[in-house]
Amino acid sequence: MLARIVHLLPLELKTLLEKLPESLQEQLEEIRIREGRPLEVCFRGQSRFMTLDGSMRQTADAAFKPTSDTCRKLLERITNYSLYAMEEELRRGFITVSGGHRIGLAGRTILDGGVVRGIRDIGGFNIRVAREVIGASANLLPRLLDRSRKTLHSALILAPPQQGKTTLVRDIARSVSYGLWPSPEAGSWQGRKVGIVDERSEIAACVRGIPTFDVGPRTDVMDACPKAEGMMMMLRSMSPEVLIADEIGRPEDGEAIREASHAGVSVVATAHAYDLQDARGRPVLRKLLDDGAFTHVVELKRTEQGIMHRVVSAEAPGRSAAREQPQTPQRTAVGAVHSLLGLHRADDP
Amino acid sequence: MIKLLGAVLILFAGTMIGFQQAARFAERPRQLRQLAHALQRLETEIGYGHTPLPEALERTALSSPEPLAGLFRKAATGIWETEGLTFRESWERAVKSQWPETSLRMNEQAVLIRLGSTLGISDKEDQMKHIRLTLVQLKAEEDAARDDQGRYEKMWKSLGILIAVLIVILMV
Repeated sequence: MLARIVHLLPLELKTLLEKLPESLQEQLEEIRIREGRPLEVCFRGQSRFMTLDGSMRQTADAAFKPTSDTCRKLLERITNYSLYAMEEELRRGFITVSGGHRIGLAGRTILDGGVVRGIRDIGGFNIRVAREVIGASANLLPRLLDRSRKTLHSALILAPPQQGKTTLVRDIARSVSYGLWPSPEAGSWQGRKVGIVDERSEIAACVRGIPTFDVGPRTDVMDACPKAEGMMMMLRSMSPEVLIADEIGRPEDGEAIREASHAGVSVVATAHAYDLQDARGRPVLRKLLDDGAFTHVVELKRTEQGIMHRVVSAEAPGRSAAREQPQTPQRTAVGAVHSLLGLHRADDP
Repeated sequence: MIKLLGAVLILFAGTMIGFQQAARFAERPRQLRQLAHALQRLETEIGYGHTPLPEALERTALSSPEPLAGLFRKAATGIWETEGLTFRESWERAVKSQWPETSLRMNEQAVLIRLGSTLGISDKEDQMKHIRLTLVQLKAEEDAARDDQGRYEKMWKSLGILIAVLIVILMV
């Protein structure tokens, strides 16, 4: 993992991080660089401070502290020496670099009429290492198949940050686009046209409009586009059969998803929420769930064994009553548990 | 015979030195003008094209005549060739290594190096302001250089010959 982002780092950080044991380098998730403060690295959900000799400490004393010069070099490298070409990114607070890695920025903001126009005096960086896990959705996909239409059901994927949502939807896009349905009955189904609205350039990690991750041959990507507008544009112009969007939550996103589901397009979206209960606490998500825009809800949980998912049917109370399974609206479906890292654990009834 | 040959050589050398000095005075405003054009090009690339800096520098190099083109090219390649350089350092290196090739003076060098410490690390408006400030400063230098040219170019041309003649007369 480190090898993929090392070209972004200034020399002193690079030599320091290369002292990490190889196994840790592979599991790096975040490198947090704060000017004049201890260097922090995160892996497997834990966080440690690095000392100058490359050892890891729980405490911050004796840790390596990046200087302002180091931070300046880092900023120059991640912006390709061109901060002026990154205005949109600075307004959003992060930069996506080739390979899909996202670098969050913190500093003093510049306001323009009360709206954040950018960040100056950047003193904090969070390099999030993106990973492409091919086959991450293999265990989940069979549960989302819509057998009558030979495509996917609309699904909402819920998880707190850092649980692998983006990795999962990227693999869903790839599998659906290639027509690699991981289910024997769906073997003869063809691939579907996939539209990805990639507001944060995380799913496909486009560089100049071309995806750097493999998102499949039948996939169109609307890069760095506001989700609601992007979804409408996709619907109007690209005739997708499956629409994928990351981190929905604004009222206009809800409108667009409703529009898509009425147009017969399956929507796979992710949202920040701990579980279905939590999601229902968010007005936009609750409205979508009540409207039946999503037929399935997937909850992701990261455990010691890897990442587990639980598929919940999300029929609205009124609608589910008319269906064959008149159970309570939530938690009707059984949970399936699997791990993204290939470690399987049977938790299935 | 040998004396005559020596006198001719001295005359020739004196004339050449004079012409060379005069050429420096003629060359300086011309290069300052070219430098201003190059920076305007860079400003357009940055302000309107949003071109990343290394690419903007390469393009500026392509549209400028030597020896200035070399300066921009070196600045663009320097950041990739030597690891661990900030852009400011790379720029300063390029300016200093290319300077002997030009007819430009230390004043302009200082102005350019100052520009290098701001390039690429602020927003578009700020970048354009800095480049414009540099252009204004270069313009002032250019005016001064033209004055100098008017004053000293002819003088050096005649001075070279005259000094050579003086030496020859003293020798004879």
